[in-house]
Amino acid sequence: MEPKDLRYHQEHEWIRVEGTQATLGISNFAQEALGDIVYIEMPKVGVTVTAGQEIGEVESTKTTSSIYTPVSGTIVKVNTDLKDHPEVVNADPYGRGWIALIELSEPAQVASLMTAAQYEAFLASQKK
Amino acid sequence: MCRLRRRRGEAGPAVGVEATAVTNQFVAQIAQAGEHSMTTDASQRDAKVPGTLISYDRLEYGTAWALQRGLVAERIADQCPDTLLLLQHEPVFTIGRSGQEAHWGGNEGALQETGYPVYRVERGGSITYHGPGQIVGYPILRLGRFCPGPKSYMRLLEEVLIRTLADWGITGGRIDRVPGVWVGGEPAAKIAAMGVRILRGVTMHGFALNVTVDLSPFSRIVPCGIAGCRVTSMAALLGRPVEVLMVQRRIAEVFGDVFGLEWTERVPSGEIRTVGSKPVMVRG
Repeated sequence: MEPKDLRYHQEHEWIRVEGTQATLGISNFAQEALGDIVYIEMPKVGVTVTAGQEIGEVESTKTTSSIYTPVSGTIVKVNTDLKDHPEVVNADPYGRGWIALIELSEPAQVASLMTAAQYEAFLASQKK
Repeated sequence: MCRLRRRRGEAGPAVGVEATAVTNQFVAQIAQAGEHSMTTDASQRDAKVPGTLISYDRLEYGTAWALQRGLVAERIADQCPDTLLLLQHEPVFTIGRSGQEAHWGGNEGALQETGYPVYRVERGGSITYHGPGQIVGYPILRLGRFCPGPKSYMRLLEEVLIRTLADWGITGGRIDRVPGVWVGGEPAAKIAAMGVRILRGVTMHGFALNVTVDLSPFSRIVPCGIAGCRVTSMAALLGRPVEVLMVQRRIAEVFGDVFGLEWTERVPSGEIRTVGSKPVMVRG
């Protein structure tokens, strides 16, 4: 079951909105599909990002994959703990494995993202 | 990013694995190689879907890299089908995102003394060597059509190479958390390496199988960043020459079975012709 207080994106990122800011991470489904995460390239603090843009990179099981942001805004903080302990994303993707904090420039975008129930239905639809 | 459900409960990174650990794990893993075989080929579940096969005898790394990037852009835009590039490179060292200087003595100049080019690329993994006699496969796939994500993709690529090796009487196996195909025991040696990039759901880079390739350049590096990693080839194991293009042809067939793809050969000039389920090698 995915946390009910989050919104989800089809690229398997989640955001948690608090006031004008959103915390971003990758879903449990994503961390399972990636396998053991060995490296995360973080976005830079202060950078302006646009919804759909690649903001970082994950390396797992000899594969590099992109992290996308589902919302526009400015990166105000990143989870520096992941530099030495990227495996935390596997262990706790919705908690200590958060990736970045974004000051939202277009808060209305949030409404277009999936709820937990919608995301679970989306995941089910992806299975053959 | 990717799709899949996998068993959890195994935490911790797979980098920096010591040779002894690799060996001990391998002994257990190799016995299970049969169990790990994918018994659910796409080909057994569904009819095959169209794919494009592009084969070269030899292609310089930079040319192949540019070709891959072009194909990835086309695949993202749905302007081409899922595609497999199969080829051999001129001698080259490539360094992936996990490349640490200790893996090549901390001095790229020393590598360049070999006269071989060195490329830093966007794939996962550390440093490796490519050269004639090694078959390199670059699948350009919309990954979600075949498997949920990188972890299961590695298992499928390994499956292709394990089945191919079996046709030459070589038993290849997997080592948990160390992607690639391994042979023998005490210590296990790597016969095929992996390194992949996923961009907008489309894969690039891929695998490299040592057939008759000169293994001495591997002694200049820590292959894939695994300390004590031994590297071998089909010819070294069999003690006789192996026809590289026959192996290349077999990889194409097995890849088509494992991924459920029916090949159409695309001649490197751009001409397209259908050859049915039997891929025909075209000299580039």
